[in-house]
This record gives sequence, C-alpha cells and structure tokens, in this order.
Amino acid sequence: MTRAFLSGMRIHVLQFTKNAFDVSGVVLWPILYASIAYYVLGAKNDPKLLLAASLGAAVMAMWSIVVIGSSGALEHQRWQGTLELLVAAPVPFAVTLAPITIASGIVGGYSLLATLAWGTLIFDVPLAIDDPLAFAIAVPACIVTIGMLGLITAATFVVYRAAFSLGVSMQYPVWIATGLLVPLSVLPDYVGPISWFLGPTWGFRAIRESALGGTPWPDIGMCLLVSGVYLVVASACLHLFEKLARSRATLRLS
Amino acid sequence: MNWLRVLVIGGLTSYRALFNWISPWVFFPILIVYPLFQIVFFAYLGRFAGVGSDEFFLIGNAFIAIAVAGLFGMGHSVAGERRSQTLASILASPASRLALFLGRALPSIVTGFGVAVVSFVLGALILDVDVVAAELGGLALAVLAAAFACTSLGLCLGALGLRGRNVSLFADTIAGSMLLVSGANVPLERLPEWIQALSTVIPLTHGLEAAREIADGSSISGAGGLLLTEAAIGAVYLVLGLGLVRLFELEGRRTATLETF
Repeated sequence: MTRAFLSGMRIHVLQFTKNAFDVSGVVLWPILYASIAYYVLGAKNDPKLLLAASLGAAVMAMWSIVVIGSSGALEHQRWQGTLELLVAAPVPFAVTLAPITIASGIVGGYSLLATLAWGTLIFDVPLAIDDPLAFAIAVPACIVTIGMLGLITAATFVVYRAAFSLGVSMQYPVWIATGLLVPLSVLPDYVGPISWFLGPTWGFRAIRESALGGTPWPDIGMCLLVSGVYLVVASACLHLFEKLARSRATLRLS
Repeated sequence: MNWLRVLVIGGLTSYRALFNWISPWVFFPILIVYPLFQIVFFAYLGRFAGVGSDEFFLIGNAFIAIAVAGLFGMGHSVAGERRSQTLASILASPASRLALFLGRALPSIVTGFGVAVVSFVLGALILDVDVVAAELGGLALAVLAAAFACTSLGLCLGALGLRGRNVSLFADTIAGSMLLVSGANVPLERLPEWIQALSTVIPLTHGLEAAREIADGSSISGAGGLLLTEAAIGAVYLVLGLGLVRLFELEGRRTATLETF
C-alpha cells in the first residue's frame, strides 16, 4: 500500500506539472485573484491587508487545483476506461485516490510562491514572515488539510459522471465559507459555524497568523485534527460510494 | 435550405453532445451554481472594500457567465470534434463552414443568455438588488450583444482547436482575465492605463458598460453607442474566427494533423 501511495504521488505530481491547463491554473489564477483583490481593496497604505490578500488568493488556488485537479483526473480515468480497473484493484481505492488530491495540493503549493512573488514584484507587498518556523509548518499543514477535504469531494466524483463540472462549481462556495479573501465578519452569521468544519479555514489562518504575527500553533493543530476527521469521513464515503457505483454499474459510463 | 439544415440540426446535435445531456444535473453545477456563487463572492468582496454596489458586481458577474458559456461552449464545440475523432469527417464534408460553425455558435449564445438571466435573477434575490421592469429590455439587449461577442471570440478559440489540443487552456485564461480586464469586478478607472486600453478591444467591456448605464436609468438609445460597439467587436471576432477556421483547416489538411489527439 505504501508503494502504491508513493508511486501514485510521484505519477500525479509529474502529471499535474506536465499538464499546461493545471500549471496555468496554479500560476495564473492566484495572480489574477490577488490582482483583483489589490485593485478592489486599493489598500496601498495597509501592507498587512495586501499580504493577507496574497495569502488568501494562494490558498484559494490550492483549493482550486485540488478540487479541479482531482475531479479532472477522475473524469479522465473514466474517459480512458481505467476508473473501473482502479476500483476493482486489490489495493484499497482510498490509497489510489489520496495521492491524486495530495499531489494536487502539493502542486497548488506553487501558487503560494507565484502569488507572493507577484505581489512583491508588481504591487510592492512587503514579504516579511513574522514566524518562519511556524510558516514552514503551516504551509504543509494547509496542503494536507486541503488535500484531505479534496479526498471527501473526490469520493463523490466517483459516482458523478460529470465530475469535472461538479469540481469547478465547488470552488466559490468554499472560498466564501472559509473567509479566504472576504472576512467572515462581513458574511452572514450562519457562515461562521460552517467555516469551522472546513480545513482551508484553519490552513489559511495558520499561514496568515505565522506570516503576520499571531498565534498560528492552535490553527496548525486544528489542521491536523480536521485532516484526521476528514480521513475517517472520506474512507466511509469512499466505501459507500464505491459500493453504489458498483451496484449501479456506472463506472464505465463517460 | 441545406445550409439552414446544417446550421440548425448540426448545431443542436453538437450542443446536446457538448453537455452529454442524459441528466440536467450535468448542466446545473457549472452553469448555475458556479456563476451564482461568483456573484455572491465578489459582491461581498466589494462590500468589504467599500467599492462598487451590489448591482455593480451582480451585472459584472452575470455577464462573466456569458463569457464562460460563449468561450467554453464555442471553443469546445469545435475542439470536441477532434476529441471524438469526427473532425476529419466534418471537414471532409462539402457543408458550408459558416453553417457548420455558426450552427454551433447559436446555442452557445442562447446558453449564455439563459445563464446570465438566471444568475442575474437569483443573484438579485440573494443580494436584495432592486431591478426596475423598464430596464429589463435594455439589459436583455446588452446581454445579447455580449453573448454574441463572446461566442465570436469562442469561435477563434475553437479554430485554435483545429491546430492545438488544449483549447481549455486558452478559454480558461481568457475567461479568467476577463474578471479583471473587462471591468466586471474592478471599476476600470482603478486599473492601469494599459489594461484600460486592452479592455476596449475585447468582448464584454462595452456590453457591461451599457448594461450598467441602463441599470442606472439610461435609455436604450442612450446606451446605443456602447451596444453597437459591442456588436461590432463581436462581428470582427466572428470574421477573424471564420478566417482562422479556414486557415487552420487548410493547414490541418496539409500536415494531416486533424485526427491527432
């Protein structure tokens, strides 16, 4: 299983970095959203707000690449007729699927570099990380928690024929509910409790607090806790949806 | 008569294949959920920043829905032929290229129109934006003009599909750039001059401006110049797209690359 997981990671990282569509998504979209945020916020005199917007845009891109990358990868497997074989393989399907979402999260990590570089070079956003150690831990913690949330959504992609369009439509709801660019205080009150259950909320807070100064460690802890819960939920969902897809015999439908 | 048959029946068949319409749920997430949440996202960003009104973002992002439908729908209707290995057969037929590809364009325009209307209505309800009934005719005209212009640009992308494999990349990049460059989410005066200059030669910008003027109480004739400019930009891209289709078809035949995928 370890070998299947690691080789799956290697293959999907290679595949995502070779695919021009995914690479453009990682590089272009965070820059675009960060630019919109800079121009809309117009906060030239508030460097902390600009840096927070950069980080928010980067985490937005991480979620996008996970949800779009994994839905696209699964739809691709369906089109190629290999999805059925992967489900039928003796290795648990979660071990085949997890590398797709985590690999896309790792590739999404590039978006952080792209956004910070763009902000610094074009908009003079100061690149001062308050707690480099916490930041270095917060970024992978964020990647893992987003990857694990992606695993739950990927489970639904197994039963949904048009996985890619479902994946694309999942971007904005999570961006809104996790307060990545728009603070939760501006949103209706009921969004706050929803955000507690979403990993990107804690991942973003951990990165932001470590970069701007604050208490990132509780947020990093929440990332790990939420990731563990997601793993359990995703395993149950996968088991359920896999049985459903087998009983309906829909895995070969494209 | 045959020209019309190719246009209507060919276009409708291609359109059904585009969405694999076995279930309407395939249609729902990408064309309803996505634009609706996009409207809400940018409206709240505007509220947070104190920039623009809810109406500004409602109109801006409803129009982006048109761009997405036009760019992806039209782009993929041509590139999809390559994917399903039918491109060579279609291009080997004596059918008019204009009828073939315009047939594929019209449903995209209708889709863009429908998506914009649904997004606009639902977005207005969620954000509590008042729309005066007298404005609806003018807004519909602006939507039609923008849908035509974006679909024409989509034809250019579709033509690139005769040459390259990944039209999604171009469509995604252009649709994404329109969020910023067309003034959909950032007032144009806040953007650098070079982006403002670029915004004048792309679809959507003038249609958006016309819609916002109409929503602010201007008459259709008052916004007529902008509507005509949007339609003219669409016409230019349509001619360019048809030219590119012709060029890349000849090139594809010469290099025997129409069936490579």
